[in-house]
Formats: sequence, C-alpha cells, structure tokens
Amino acid sequence: MGYLKDERPTTIGVEGGWNLGAYHYKGSRLLEEYVAGLKHKKLTGSFCPGCARVIVPPRNLCGRCHRKMDGRKTVSDRGTITCFVVSPPIYKGKLKVLGMDPVEIGLVKDGQVVIPVFVKFDGSDSNTDTVLLNADPKDVHIGMRVKVVWAKELQGSLADVEGVEPI
Amino acid sequence: MKRRNVAVIGCGQTKHSSRRRDVNVAEMVSEAVYNALEDAQVSAREVDAFVVGNMPGFGGVAQPEQWIAESLGAAGKPVLRIATGGTTGGSVGQGGYYVVASGLHDMVVAVAWEKHSDSKEAGATTGLLHVGLGNFFHAAGYGLSLKNLVATSVVGAAAGVAVYQAMFYMHRSGCGIEHFDMVAAKARRNAAKNKYAHLQWPGCTAEDIAKTDIVTYPFRYGHICPASDGASAIVVAEESLARKKAKQPAWFKGLASYTDEENQLQSENFGGVGVTDPSEQRGCWLSAVKAYRMAGIVDPKTEIDVAEIYQPFPSQELFFAERLGLFDEGTAWMALETGETEIEGRMPLDPSGGVNATNAIGSSAMQRILECALQIMGKAEEHQVPKKVRNALAHGWGGVTNYSTVTVLGDTPGR
Repeated sequence: MGYLKDERPTTIGVEGGWNLGAYHYKGSRLLEEYVAGLKHKKLTGSFCPGCARVIVPPRNLCGRCHRKMDGRKTVSDRGTITCFVVSPPIYKGKLKVLGMDPVEIGLVKDGQVVIPVFVKFDGSDSNTDTVLLNADPKDVHIGMRVKVVWAKELQGSLADVEGVEPI
Repeated sequence: MKRRNVAVIGCGQTKHSSRRRDVNVAEMVSEAVYNALEDAQVSAREVDAFVVGNMPGFGGVAQPEQWIAESLGAAGKPVLRIATGGTTGGSVGQGGYYVVASGLHDMVVAVAWEKHSDSKEAGATTGLLHVGLGNFFHAAGYGLSLKNLVATSVVGAAAGVAVYQAMFYMHRSGCGIEHFDMVAAKARRNAAKNKYAHLQWPGCTAEDIAKTDIVTYPFRYGHICPASDGASAIVVAEESLARKKAKQPAWFKGLASYTDEENQLQSENFGGVGVTDPSEQRGCWLSAVKAYRMAGIVDPKTEIDVAEIYQPFPSQELFFAERLGLFDEGTAWMALETGETEIEGRMPLDPSGGVNATNAIGSSAMQRILECALQIMGKAEEHQVPKKVRNALAHGWGGVTNYSTVTVLGDTPGR
C-alpha cells in the first residue's frame, strides 16, 4: 500500500546538548527526613496504621491501605537480602549511563562486577534497592545477612549509604 | 448494568522487524489498519471511531497520534489515545470494547504500534531514559549517588526489571535457567510458524539457546526479546454487525485491568517497596479472577483452550501462567517439561511466539488479543492450535511492573 520511500539505513543524527537543568522534578518531603536520619546512621521508615507495615525509606501513603503513614520507626541497619542480580563485568567503552561511561568517570573499575540487591532491613517490611559491596559474587545468596556500609563522612544525603556488605 | 455484546471481526498486523525504514509511523500504522479492514471486509467509511495508542516515549516521535488521523481514514471521526505503558495494547483493545459495549459506537478500529527504530538509542531524549528521568532525578536533589544509579542501570532497563522477578520466581518455585532456555526456544520455534513475527528460528532447541552468553544472571542473550517495529489492529463491532460481517466473530467474554502498588523500583517518591516479591503480581490475578467471572469461567485450567501471555522474558510466561490460574502455583515449569504448553499441547502458551519473539511494545499486548481472536476465528494458519478453541486468554503487563490487563475471548458471546 502507498508508495515506498527511499530506505534509510538508520535514523538521522543531530548533534546537540540536553539541558537537564531545565527539569524541575520535586522530591518527596519525606526524603528530607530520611536523609537527615542518615547523618546519624539512622534508617527511618514510615508506619502504616492500617496494615502495620514499616516501609523504608518512608512513604506518604500506604500502597494497599491508602492510609496516611504518619508514624515513624527507626529500623536496624542490618538486614537480609531478598533478591540479587549479578552484572556481567563492566569494561570501558561497553556501557553508557546518562551519556557517560561509568568506567571512564571512575564510578566502577574496569572489569568490575556490580551486584544490585534488594534488602529487607530488620524491623521493616519493604525491599530497599542498594548494592552489595565487599563480597564474592559466588557467595551471594537469597537470605544472606548484610549490614549497611556507611560513607566515611556522613553528609545527610542518600550517598551516605554506600551499599551493604556481608556480616 | 446492560452491556452490548461485542466481537472482534477483523485482524490486521504488519510484518515485525528491527527496522521499518521504508515507512514512517503513520504509514506503518495504516498498513495494519488496512489489513484489519480488509480482513473484516469493511471500508474505512463504515468505521465510527478509532482507539489508538503506543507506549509513550519509546518511539522516535512524542505524539504520533496527532499526525496519523488522515492515514487511518479517521479525519472527521473521534480518535481516542490510550497509554498505559507496557499494557497499552491491552488497554487499547479493551478501550475498543468499552466504546462499543457502551453503545456509543457500533464499529471501531483499535490500533496499537511501536516504531523503535525511529529512536536511535535507548539513551535518546525519547526512549527509556526519558521514561525513567522523572522517576529518579528528584532524588538527585537529596544526594542520590550516581554510583548507585549506575549500579541499577547496569542491569539494564526492562531486563533489569524482569531479572528480579525471575530470581524471585526461581527461588520460590524451584525452576531453573534451563526452563527459561526451553521457553525461549519454544517462542522462536512458534514464531517461525507466524509470518508476522520478528525472531523466527525454525526447529530452535533449548540447547541452541543455552549456547548464548549470560547477559545478567539468569538471563542469557537468547532469552531476551527484540525491539521491533510494527503495528496491530482489530476491528471491533456490536452483535448484529458482527454476525453479519464475520463467519466466526471472536467475542469479548470477559475483561479486566487491575494494578497493584508499584513493586520494584524506588521511583516516584523514592520510598521503600512494600511488595517484597515482584513476581507476586497481584494485579494480574485480580484481573484474571474478574475476567473469568465476567466470562462465566469456573475452572480456567480446563476451560481456557489457548493463552497468549505477555512474556518479553521467558520467566514471565511461567509465573504469569500460574497467576492467571492456568497452572497450580510453582508448577508451570513442570508442564513445560512435559510439552503441555506447545502448540499441540494441552494448554498452548503463546503459539504465535509471543512477546519474547516480537516486541513492538505498544502493540505487544494488543497482539495478544489479536492472536487470540485469530485462534478463535481459525485464521492463525500455521500456528493454529489443533483443537476447537472456545475460550482464549490474552494477557498484558506493564507499568512499574504493576499493571495488568486480562481479556477472555470466546466463540460465543457467552453472557
């Protein structure tokens, strides 16, 4: 149907910048509370009066009860891995995140394996996404006990939690 | 509440491939629409309205629906765009049902599509990063470490989302990576019998898939769906028109769409994830229960003859089949081993090859409805299941892994 146009092997590229500063996404006010706690090595969760779940980091509303989670609870910085993923080794020039090569900008070492994990901190009922550090990929398993690796200088920011490591 | 009986009377799709560089979005979508109109033997003039949709942000064009009207023959008629992420196609198909069942229109075309090749890479301003940007950037204001963001990114987009589900499912069901090989091989084999499918591999075996490299454990390269260009369309009509136009209409018997709380990524408010098992998929079973009740289906294990499950990753065919009530909890992989889910098996799953073989995202869930309609109409040609199809089940999945659509089509209106 219709007429066929000349086939172009690929899309046409146009060089240009992407001004990320043009976006004004708003964070949750609860994040302020959460990061303030991190400065004192405290993991803050919110408590649901409907189903008694504790969610870390805190949320405004319970996803299932739709009740305000006004209560706060500090949970342990130790927890259990509920799920993990082992990345392939990351080599220079293989991967781009936000247009940057993570090896080139020094975020990971050349050939490093990254292990993202879900952790259920003791006293909480939620999964928290983080990374497993100082562990052999062969040893990692569901149910593994871990504790938070705190940054050397705590600044009251999300970066204060560098990841978790086996106990 | 009085609802009219509604049926699919025509199906049309394009051949799916990595690149359709010979057409633009509008031309590609109109191919599918004209194929559907031809199949239904109706003219564009007889169509009252169009329900359209694709996954927002994944193609190279931000609002394609704004320039496809004349290509569809929709000028001067209502065009309604529906977008629900990965479930878009399923929602568009159900949208077609809603406008006809409500009595608002008598005959509509529902069409869904995706043209991935218009966007040069996933990191382009339209594309995956665009979708994820709002989810994470607000957290940068609170010192979200780039290191951790990279860590979640290395697992890779949708594969990264599905890989957690796969790990949970393996942990609780006891299935292994070899079962994922089997599902992927089945999808490639079945796709070879479907002339519209993308990744076709006649006679593909689990051993062939097992030779491919691990991308992120437990997924191999051979497990992962392609990014396709393609469109699919159905013509939906009310009962008297349907009976007049089609020898065997595929009737909408039951449908539902439920969500659950987001269950995987700490996005939006960066709060913790309250659903501790992302393969739990409560939205899916809520949808299934509701759709079965509406369709009058008591025992899906015996009453469903064929199912098209949204399975971009092989693990999903297994746990969604359980969530949809087609197999007992943790047993789908055993049925796979005995060949029950093959085209000629007791419970054929994705005889078309499914999303694992063809993934034009916006269109993928629509294709499930379309393929079920083909099976009921007896028009599935080479991948037609060798039995009388009375009830067929079409499933869609998406959102932050929490949206589901379930549609039951049948050979009789059934209510």
